[in-house]
Amino acid sequence: MLSRVAASFYWLSRYIERSDGILRMLKINYASSQDSVDGFSWEPVIRIFSGPDEELMTKLNNDSRAVLKYMVIDKENHNSILNIITLARENARSVQEHIPKDLWQCLNEYYHTVKEPRIASGLKKDDPIGVLDVLIKQVMLYYGTAEITMERGQGRSFMNIGKYLERAIQSIDILDVKYGPLNANPNLLTDITYWKHLLMSIGGYELYQKTYRDGLEAQNVLEQVILNNDFPRSVIYSVNNIQRYFDRLKNNSNVNDYREISFHIGRLQSSIKYSSVKSIGQEGLHQYLIRVKDDLYQIGNQLNEYYFANS
Amino acid sequence: MYQSQHFDKYNLINGVWDEMYSENSTVRDHYQKVIQYLSQESPDDLAKKEELAKRLFMTQGITFTVYNSGEGIEKIFPFDIIPRVITATEWAFVEKGIKQRLTALNLFLKDIYHNQFIVKDGIVPIDIVYSCPHFLREMYQLDVPYDVYVHIAGIDLIRDHDGTFYVLEDNLRTPSGVSYMLENREITKRLFPDLLPNCGVRSVTEYPSILYKNLLSLSPRQISNPTIVLLSPGIYNSAYFEHTTLARLMGVELVEGRDLVVNNHKVYMKTTTGLQQVDVIYRRVDDEFLDPLVFNPNSVLGVAGLMGAYRKGNVAIVNAIGNGVADDKATYIYVPDMIKYYLNEEPILKNVPTHRLSNKDERDHVFKNINTMVVKKTNESGGYGMLMGHASTEEEIEKYKLEILKDPRNFIAQPTISLSAAPCYIGGVLQPRRIDLRPYALCGPDGIEIVPGGLTRVALTEGSLVVNSSQGGGSKDTWVLA
Repeated sequence: MLSRVAASFYWLSRYIERSDGILRMLKINYASSQDSVDGFSWEPVIRIFSGPDEELMTKLNNDSRAVLKYMVIDKENHNSILNIITLARENARSVQEHIPKDLWQCLNEYYHTVKEPRIASGLKKDDPIGVLDVLIKQVMLYYGTAEITMERGQGRSFMNIGKYLERAIQSIDILDVKYGPLNANPNLLTDITYWKHLLMSIGGYELYQKTYRDGLEAQNVLEQVILNNDFPRSVIYSVNNIQRYFDRLKNNSNVNDYREISFHIGRLQSSIKYSSVKSIGQEGLHQYLIRVKDDLYQIGNQLNEYYFANS
Repeated sequence: MYQSQHFDKYNLINGVWDEMYSENSTVRDHYQKVIQYLSQESPDDLAKKEELAKRLFMTQGITFTVYNSGEGIEKIFPFDIIPRVITATEWAFVEKGIKQRLTALNLFLKDIYHNQFIVKDGIVPIDIVYSCPHFLREMYQLDVPYDVYVHIAGIDLIRDHDGTFYVLEDNLRTPSGVSYMLENREITKRLFPDLLPNCGVRSVTEYPSILYKNLLSLSPRQISNPTIVLLSPGIYNSAYFEHTTLARLMGVELVEGRDLVVNNHKVYMKTTTGLQQVDVIYRRVDDEFLDPLVFNPNSVLGVAGLMGAYRKGNVAIVNAIGNGVADDKATYIYVPDMIKYYLNEEPILKNVPTHRLSNKDERDHVFKNINTMVVKKTNESGGYGMLMGHASTEEEIEKYKLEILKDPRNFIAQPTISLSAAPCYIGGVLQPRRIDLRPYALCGPDGIEIVPGGLTRVALTEGSLVVNSSQGGGSKDTWVLA
């Protein structure tokens, strides 16, 4: 497979996964903004995807519709759904002959849907959840189509590596941002809605209910999002899958490159597997998350160098 | 005239060959079935079909992007739903004519890059060859596989007021549009169920297989599965959709210049498992961008060292480099002579009478009759840099004349050919619009093959004679009857 094509697969997939994460997060956060008396803040969401930006926060003024517009269709926002899906589509376009026609059409439709006027007008005056659902459905269609039609080959491995890498980074960012304010405001530790929304925004609330019988607790949430093997958005689950799909790239002609990245992934996987909520607490959550994220970035860089021929 | 609501406003254009109606306003036989079918459809049905066609093009991403003020706008190549029909007899004639012409042009390219007998024998003047910017000394004395230079030709044909076919240009470099021939047919199948088999329309789907077979035969390495690639300038090229379609249909790798590298006069592509040698390149990048070491040094679309590998015979390039000398508009004048010289045959397809403006007598003649002339630049295509005498103001003409006088070699003039008209579905009714025809000829070691069909381009603006997509043209599905 051409290096450029592999890179496009990887990025295509990262962008789609990111759009999925953003849309779900927006949906839940919007719902909670309608459900809170003492000042709901959009700041964490904006921080995850746009970084800390005082000016922007002032401009958006914590207004739900303004935030949604900014996150979904604002051309100036690099991480708006519109821009992300445009990039995903450009990547898909450059590998069009490698992906099934169904998948290309699906992505193409997603792109045209985001550009439809009804999305903009819906965010402005109709029910925003309905609008977000339209888009979330497009992502689900994409994943379903990819699952059914993609050839089980290298291309799919690169796609899945991209997908899980992006997912792991997102889960880490969410934890980091959500646990940040705890030091300043210990009351949050026992704020049930706060944790409920965190879990719901990554689709983990039901699983949590089944696993932990004793109500919502910060420590348990942490355990589920980092260490639960069965939670599809947990960090360990994502890293396991990076490992799994990277294994399939093993080939006689690039043994050394393969081994180097494989070593790196394996080390990261073990370091997460053999940590516990307690050991994470000792290291400091923020430090721990930063360390894992750095490792993930490095794996991305190594792929870029050894497999995508961009050194 | 046929009684149907769609044809109420169909006014034949005076002095123009109409593909559907004969002179006495009866529908020609080969259009009967189409017209019958259409007359059973209500205007609403047709409008729906047009909508459906647009939607199909859009969701399949058969679009090109126009970049305007930093923002990409998706456009579809306008498609007219009414097919253009060609009879078996007409096609047989066209096919024979193109084969003859292409055979001569291939011989001409071989000759001009080797011994130049045709120049020595005084058939083609030497200045025409050497003053052509597309004549490349780099190709001199280079033997190409099977002596085939033009593997893919898109020869543009038009029909004058009496229905005679004329060759308007020979596109021998990187002719485009074939994916529209294929896609238009796919869309038409959806729009008019059962109509194609009922009319006995010949299939065009063989095109990619023939092309693939030809590419395979060119591999310099005698191995069972040579690596064939399609070299594209990338996703920002307006024909990118075509590149991916062809790559997909042939099952070959689509590459960009940055995917390739030349080492020791061999071309490789960078893959996830290391370098892989490339044997045949079907390039959709123009000559001057192919190799920054030899041609345009600023090009990032090509591959450094490609020309060296080509000269060594380590890679085959399709179409050959330097073909532009044969489809230059000044060389065009001599194609009938080439046919006589190389093949000892009378040309089957006619040339449009063409004046060289570097010749003073001809220039004076053209200037005097400029209102009935079309003046073109010899090395431009896509309908750019043209002057349509009948549709220009005095001022435009005077300005253009000055430009001509600066460098007369760069210009030719042709009498305005009226171009035949065919019915198009515009504004809810059928109206006649001007069309041309570009069949795609494939030349391989076993000879020339032409899939029965082609791209019919149509000038969608009323009264316009320019069919180029860059100038507001569209296309139609082209039916060749069995």
